[in-house]
Amino acid sequence: MTSIKELSPLKKKEALFGWKLISPSVILIGLFILYPVFYNIYLSFFDVSLTPGVSNKFVGLENYQRLLTDPIFWESFGITLLFVLITVVGSILVGLIVALLMNKEFPGRGIVRALILFPYVAPVISTVFAWQYVLMPLNGPLTMTLSKIGLMNITTDLINDPNNAFLVVSFYSIWKNFPFIYLMILSRLQSIPLDYYEAADIDGANGWQKFRHITLPELYYVIGSLVLLRGIWNFYKFEEVYLLSKEARTLPIYLYEKAFIGLPELGVAAAISTVLFIVMIFLISLYVKKVLKW
Amino acid sequence: MVVRKRSFIKKVLFWFLIAVVVIFVAYPFVYMVSVSFRYDSDAFDPGLIPDNPTITQYAQLLGLQESIRQQMSQEEQQLMKLLESLPEDQRELVFKNIQAQRKRESFPFLRWFGNSLILAGASALTSVLIGIFGAYSFSRIWFPGRNLIQRGVLLVYLVGGVILSVPIYDIFVRLGLTNSSGASLFSLYIIYVIQTLPVSLYMLGNYFRTIPESIEEAALIDGSTRMGTIMKIIIPLSMPAIITVFIYAFMIGWNEYLFASIFIRPFPGAYTLSVGLREVFFSEHAVWAKMMAASVLTAVPVIVLFMSVEKYLTAGLTAGGVKE
Repeated sequence: MTSIKELSPLKKKEALFGWKLISPSVILIGLFILYPVFYNIYLSFFDVSLTPGVSNKFVGLENYQRLLTDPIFWESFGITLLFVLITVVGSILVGLIVALLMNKEFPGRGIVRALILFPYVAPVISTVFAWQYVLMPLNGPLTMTLSKIGLMNITTDLINDPNNAFLVVSFYSIWKNFPFIYLMILSRLQSIPLDYYEAADIDGANGWQKFRHITLPELYYVIGSLVLLRGIWNFYKFEEVYLLSKEARTLPIYLYEKAFIGLPELGVAAAISTVLFIVMIFLISLYVKKVLKW
Repeated sequence: MVVRKRSFIKKVLFWFLIAVVVIFVAYPFVYMVSVSFRYDSDAFDPGLIPDNPTITQYAQLLGLQESIRQQMSQEEQQLMKLLESLPEDQRELVFKNIQAQRKRESFPFLRWFGNSLILAGASALTSVLIGIFGAYSFSRIWFPGRNLIQRGVLLVYLVGGVILSVPIYDIFVRLGLTNSSGASLFSLYIIYVIQTLPVSLYMLGNYFRTIPESIEEAALIDGSTRMGTIMKIIIPLSMPAIITVFIYAFMIGWNEYLFASIFIRPFPGAYTLSVGLREVFFSEHAVWAKMMAASVLTAVPVIVLFMSVEKYLTAGLTAGGVKE
């Protein structure tokens, strides 16, 4: 790497200008993202007090000890893993199928395409109310339909039942996020050269063979990066889960309730953040190695 | 003959799948709109077309009509008559109580809408402005440490939200930025800028790389400064991308609940839509029609914004994925 001293005066001026342009971003990100990450690790070793005059008390690993022996933590951890697994697989499958459908010409395609984006662009708070309405026990329209075909009991409150709330939340998350995946896959599909398929036609390949041997390999990279991106984002997804159902009890909800509801235990919450952060680092390094190949 | 039959079955299957997709996507929206045109008492009437359609929910939310809750009830009016017989100071006290009670029960939708609009709009604008210069810097100019910054942007783009909530809350409390509604709104503004800045940097950086450098070089040779080319060439050429990024950043602020709930819970006047609507939803019963009308009004601005840039959306998204 060239050092700044070896540069010509003109290049030096350019580099300085480059630094000037990026500095507001670097300062903001440093102060409010990087510093908090480390400050959080520091906090996780303290009994944190926000009362003026009372200082933080160093407790060593006690927060972690309390966390790792708390069965609720492990339950949340398990639910979070399941939630990530279901939503990643589900939204990619739905996104892929819809992208394959929309890759064909048909009358009305423009309208359907615009409509598909609705769940993704509509605010979480609005769509959450709508799903809560259709799933109301007794007289929600979806509840009535599902109970008529015998899939559920009409009196069940699907959303607020702690046993399956996370399934409803997973379904909602798939519904909300598949359009993103569909858009990414569709734009990749449209860049596959048509000659590939023509050549396969000449060789007498059927639809499945064409999908299996041309489409899927072309999509491999984009699907791989989508799996990791969705996995990372859904691991700490808060709004979509909490606003639909507090009962879904994923790790971010557990953290939120520990830190900001009732008697705040910020030290323990910081320990949860640190654990989340470590898992994230693991997922991110997978992403960097497998997809970005740095 | 066999071939035609098979292609017919295929066609039916195809349209069936399209119908499934449309129903899957539109289902909750259809009910949202249908219920929003009903009275609260009719919210669970069967069917999609309301028997007694009304726009009263919208009129009340938009402040064009007083809601029943805001109209003085019979009892209150009788109470007021009673009050007249009380001594001056006591009357004042009781009157204030009644007023406070009514204020608490009202549903200041427009105010929340305004708060959300200002907060999401201002933070998205700030983030895009800082992002334009930052992204230009690392996508066009060589300087020591550029690689590190490019990779760093990608990494912070993946971190966020709940992981940072504890330390950020702690920092803002210690800075005294949670004491009043103004300070809390300012804290939220900073936090939203931070949350959207990596997205802006990342997406704009990807877009700037697609603009041929030769266009700029010509201007630079003609004696234009770097700043001049950013203002006169890069920004006009990237307008579609800039607007798309702005809308994404706007949506992040418009949707945000986590930090808003932590910072502005004690200050009802500063509520954003997501905090306010959730509060109403849990504190009052049987207001489904009103909640649905509020949901429609909350969704309309972002849906309109997105649909107006739909053709750029794919390009913006595939420029490297979009954060939520």
